[in-house]
Amino acid sequence: MTDARCPATLELSLGPITAVDLALYAAASGDLNPLHLDAEVARAAGFERPIAHGMRTMACAGRLFTSRFGATALRALDTRFVGTAKLGDSLLLRATLTAAGDSTADYALSVQTSDGVSVATGSARVALTADRA
Amino acid sequence: MTAPTTHAVDAWRVKLFCHAIGETDPVFHDAAAARRAGHRACPVPPTFLKALESEHQSGAALMKLLDVPMTGVLHAEQRFEFESPVHVGDTVEISRTVAEIFDKRGGAMTFIVVDSHFRVAGQAVASARQTIVVRNSMPAAA
Repeated sequence: MTDARCPATLELSLGPITAVDLALYAAASGDLNPLHLDAEVARAAGFERPIAHGMRTMACAGRLFTSRFGATALRALDTRFVGTAKLGDSLLLRATLTAAGDSTADYALSVQTSDGVSVATGSARVALTADRA
Repeated sequence: MTAPTTHAVDAWRVKLFCHAIGETDPVFHDAAAARRAGHRACPVPPTFLKALESEHQSGAALMKLLDVPMTGVLHAEQRFEFESPVHVGDTVEISRTVAEIFDKRGGAMTFIVVDSHFRVAGQAVASARQTIVVRNSMPAAA
């Protein structure tokens, strides 16, 4: 599918998730669940390392679209957290155009770790018209 | 439904959120850049609404309400629909509704679906649906 207004694919590659990244997201988001911050709590819950906030991954997915279409272009964003990203993982976010209408475009979203583990899938709808004030 | 509460969108909080998610576009945290781009103030990053929602009801508070341990839950799905943008300086009214609770895999997992409603000056600006999975068969703490 080709359309000058919306690229067929969008990608965002993110370096390894650090403990500082997770602490900052916890503070900024108000999600203080220790699964994201404390290695012992994560281990007791069955995770080898602290897990990244799903909402942090989703926020990065938001960046993928706002950086291309504008700060207020998103109409809908849906993310299913099918796996867990963990401390130290690098992520690749990829959006693939699935439909382009007169005023909006739809994308399918996938997020994988550099080891090929699927972290999230989802979809987005963006406005192709002028950015809303 | 939870009783609605109101929350001011604070510039510093939005700036911290941008820093935490690697958002470097000044339109989100520099009022002058936002105005140059045609916005009346800095728009918030789309998923910032979830951070604001934690002021209304934290994940920990919801889990306490449902009598579920915080470390036994995972965020399974999140959906947002955006009607109109929210900006720094807006006051957002938030309320939440538990839409559905159901078990899967013979009760090994419980899914809790919670809807959030965001309004500014009486108008709906966004809605969200969060699905939480409770791992009832979580390994016992070592």
